[in-house]
Amino acid sequence: MGSLKEVKAEDGAAPSSNGAAAAPTATAGPDNPTRRGRSASAAVLPLEVGTRVMCRWRDQKPHPVKVIERRKTSSGGPNDYEYYVHYTEFNRRLDEWVKLEQLDLDTVETDVDEKVEDKVTSLKMTRHQKRKIDETHVEHGHEELDAASLREHEEFTKVKNIAKIELGRYEIDTWYFSPFPPEYSDSPKLYFCEFCLNFMKRKEQLQRHMRKCDLKHPPGDEIYRSGTLSMFEVDGKKNKVYGQNLCYLAKLFLDHKTLYYDVDLFLFYVLCECDDRGCHMVGYFSKEKHSEESYNLACILTLPPYQRKGYGKFLIAFSYELSKKEGKVGTPERPLSDLGLLSYRGYWTRVLLDILKKHKGNISIKELSDMTAIKPDDILSTLQTLDLIQYRKGQHVICADPKVLDRHLKAAGRGGLEVDVSKLIWTPYKEQVLCSLNLQVAAVAAPPLLKI
Amino acid sequence: MSRLSFRPRPLDIHKKLPVVKSVKEFEDDEAPSTTPSTRNSMLHRLATENDTETNQTLSKKSSHEIPTPQFNTVETYERDYSRTFIQTTSYIRGRGARAEIGEFVEYDLDDEDEDWLEEFNNERKIISSEKFETLLFKLEVLDHKARERAGVITPTFGAPIRVILHLDSAAEALQSLSVRFAILQSVYNYWKTKRERWQKPILRRLQPPPPVNDTNPYNVFRPREKAHRLHTRRMQRRENNVQSFEKLRHVRRSLDQAKRVVEALIKREEKKRLLMECEVNLQRVQMKYKHEAQLIEDRMVFPSLQRASCKLASSDDDYMDSDDTTNGHPYARPASAHPKYADSKLAMVSTGQMKRELKQGSASNGWLQKRDPDEPILLFTRPLDPDKLAAAGIMQPPCPPAENGSVASTYRFNGRIGRGGRIIFDRCNPLL
Repeated sequence: MGSLKEVKAEDGAAPSSNGAAAAPTATAGPDNPTRRGRSASAAVLPLEVGTRVMCRWRDQKPHPVKVIERRKTSSGGPNDYEYYVHYTEFNRRLDEWVKLEQLDLDTVETDVDEKVEDKVTSLKMTRHQKRKIDETHVEHGHEELDAASLREHEEFTKVKNIAKIELGRYEIDTWYFSPFPPEYSDSPKLYFCEFCLNFMKRKEQLQRHMRKCDLKHPPGDEIYRSGTLSMFEVDGKKNKVYGQNLCYLAKLFLDHKTLYYDVDLFLFYVLCECDDRGCHMVGYFSKEKHSEESYNLACILTLPPYQRKGYGKFLIAFSYELSKKEGKVGTPERPLSDLGLLSYRGYWTRVLLDILKKHKGNISIKELSDMTAIKPDDILSTLQTLDLIQYRKGQHVICADPKVLDRHLKAAGRGGLEVDVSKLIWTPYKEQVLCSLNLQVAAVAAPPLLKI
Repeated sequence: MSRLSFRPRPLDIHKKLPVVKSVKEFEDDEAPSTTPSTRNSMLHRLATENDTETNQTLSKKSSHEIPTPQFNTVETYERDYSRTFIQTTSYIRGRGARAEIGEFVEYDLDDEDEDWLEEFNNERKIISSEKFETLLFKLEVLDHKARERAGVITPTFGAPIRVILHLDSAAEALQSLSVRFAILQSVYNYWKTKRERWQKPILRRLQPPPPVNDTNPYNVFRPREKAHRLHTRRMQRRENNVQSFEKLRHVRRSLDQAKRVVEALIKREEKKRLLMECEVNLQRVQMKYKHEAQLIEDRMVFPSLQRASCKLASSDDDYMDSDDTTNGHPYARPASAHPKYADSKLAMVSTGQMKRELKQGSASNGWLQKRDPDEPILLFTRPLDPDKLAAAGIMQPPCPPAENGSVASTYRFNGRIGRGGRIIFDRCNPLL
C-alpha cells in the first residue's frame, strides 16, 4: 500500500509549506483567474482535505462534494493537484478523482474546525467528522455498523485504489476500494481473465494469459442449468486462488465485504450465462459452509453490466432454494447494501404476498417461514413495513386485501428470473461431508465383519 | 375494547393469525383514534388510489434512483476470446484446482518481468515470453519444493522467505526445457534478485497468508483459528483428499464383497431350511404311518387319541429336538424285551401322558412318542452306518471270550446321528 501512504505523508507535510506559497500563486493560476481574484481569501489552493465545495458531475450539473484526498497530477506542475471527492448526496461508490476545473471554487465552504462531542460515542471529534458520521448514518446499509467500526472501515477504504477493470466483454468503473496485493494497488486499471479471474496490470499480459488459460467456466461443479443460465458451486478450500480472486473482484463492488479471513470456509455460487465462448460470470453469492447464525448467504453481487436484468433476485431465490433443500430457514448476512436491501425487500414482498393472495383461512408466521425458508424476523419486518399486520381487538391480524397486495407487488418491482427447482442437482455440503464420514466409519467397522 | 390495546402484545410466530381479505373490515370496527386509524385510512387509500407514489410505506428509493458508476464494452473482446466452448449434455463436474492436476503454468509475467525481458532480448528474441514465464514458474516451484524438503515452510507469513534453490540444481531439474545454460543463468539471477527484493515468493499461490494476529487492514485472507470443536480421532481422519478417496474406494470394494458373501449365506440358509422341512415332513409321514399301524395292531384306537395324534401331527412348530424327545420319554428302549406287556402298559402310560400333555396345551412335547417295538422313531436322526463307522475307526468292541459258560452279554448299542452330527449312543433303559 505504498502509494496511499505516500499521498498521506505528503498531505501531512504539504499544507504548512504550501499555505504561504499558495496565496500568491492563487491569483496567477491558469484556470480561473477572475474568479480567483474574488475568492482568494476563501479558496486557498491546494484545497484541504475535508473541504466542501460544489463539483460538476457526469450529468454536467453541480453537486455538493467533500474532498477526501488529494494528489499531485502526474502531468501538471508542482502545484497542480487532483482531488478525490465524495458526492454527499450519493453512496461512496460514486467517489472519484476529479480535476480542479470541475470544482467551483466560489462555493468553497469555510468551516471552523471545532471539536464537537458525539452523543453516541462521547468521542471528541471535529465537526467534519461528526457530520460525516451523521451523513453515513442516514445512508442505507451503514445502519448496522456501530460508529467506531464504521470510522475504522472508512479510514482505510477511503480511496478507491483501482479505478477501472476489464472483465471479459466489459470495461467497468469500480465502486469501492479493494485490498489487492501492494504490487497491484497503484494501477489505474486491472485486467481480469474472465474465467479464472486472475488479474494483470497490462492488456498484453492478459492476452498472453488467454492463450494458455484453458478454463472456460468456473472451476467447480455445475449444479443448475436452465437454458443458457448455469450455476456453479466452487469450494473455497479446493479452489483457493479462484476464491481469492473472486473476493478481490467482488470487493471492488461491495462496500462492507471483508477479506479479513481466508476463503476456506466458504462456498461460492457463481451464476453464468453460457455461449460458445464459455460460461460468463454475471454474478455470484458466497455462503459459509457452517453458519452459526443461520445465514444462508454471506455476500451477493451482480456485476454492473448485468444489473437490473433480474439476476440479483435469481441469486436470492436460489439461496432460498438451497435452504429449502437443506431443510432450514435462512437469512442474508448483515449489513446489506442499499441495492441489496432493495432486492431482498422486493423478493420477500413478492414471495409472501403471492402466498397471502392465494391462501384461505388463517396462517401463522411460522407456517409462512416453513413454506418459504425465510426467517420469521424477516417475514415480520416485511409485513410490518408494508403495514399488513395490524393489532386489533387483542390479536394480530394480517391484511390480505387483493387490491392492497397488488399495489405492493407492483411497487416491489418485477420478479427476477425464475429458479426451476427440477433443474437443481445438488447435495448440501454437510451431507457430502457426512457421506464420506459415514463411509469412513463403516471402513473402521467393516473389517471385523468380513472376517467371519 | 380496541382503545385499550394501544400497546400490542408481542407477536407469537406459531399462532395462526386471521387473514383479512378486505380492508373495509379494518375501517368498520375502529373508532377514530391516533395511530391505528391513520394506518387504516392509509390502507384504505392504498386500495382506492391509483397513484403509488403517495404510498408512504414504500419510502425506499427504487433502484432507478440509485446511481451507479458506468461501464463500457471492450472492442477487442471478440478477438481475444475464442469460440471454442462446447457445452456437454450432462452438468459439468469440477476437476479440482489446476495447480494440483497438470503442467499449467500458473505464473503470469508482470510489468517488471516484461520490462526486463524486453531489455534482455534487445530485439533479438533470445527467449520468448512464454518460455521466460515457464522458467520463472518452474524456479518458484522448485524453490518451494526445496524449502519443503528442508522443512522451512511456515503456515503463515513470519520472517522473510529466502531462496534456497541453487542454480545447478535448477539447471539439472530443468534440462527438459532445453534452455541454454547462459540464458538460464541470467533468468535465475534476475529471479533471485527479485525474490530478494520481495522477500516472499512471486507466485501468489506460494505466498503464505498473514498471521492471524496481524492487524494491518490491508493484509487479507488470514487463516481462521481452528474452531474449538471436540478433538476426536475421527476428526483427524476427516480429511478430504486423495488418500481418503482411495480409502473410500477400498471400503466400497469391501462392502461389495460383504454383500456377496451375505447373499450366498442367505441362499445357503434357505436351502438348509428347505431340507429341514423335507425331513420333517418325511418324519411326520413315517410317524403317522407307523402310529396308525401300531394302533390298529394294539386295537386301542381311542378316537380322542387319534384325533389328538392327528392334531399333534399336523402342528407345524412342534419340532422336538431328538435329545429332548429321548430324554422326555425314557420309555423308548433300544431293544424289545417284553413287547406285549410293555406295549400295553406303555401305551396306557403314554396315552395318559398324552392326555396330560393335551391339557397342558402341548406345544413342547408335540410329537407322539412312537411305540414301535422294533424301532423307536427318533426324529431328525439317521441310523448309523457301520461301514462308515468302521472307516472312521469306530468299531464294535469284540465280544469278550465266554467265561464259565455264562451267557455273554451282547453289547446292545443302537447309535444314531444326533444333533450337530454327533454320534449318540442312548442309555439303555434298565427297566426294560
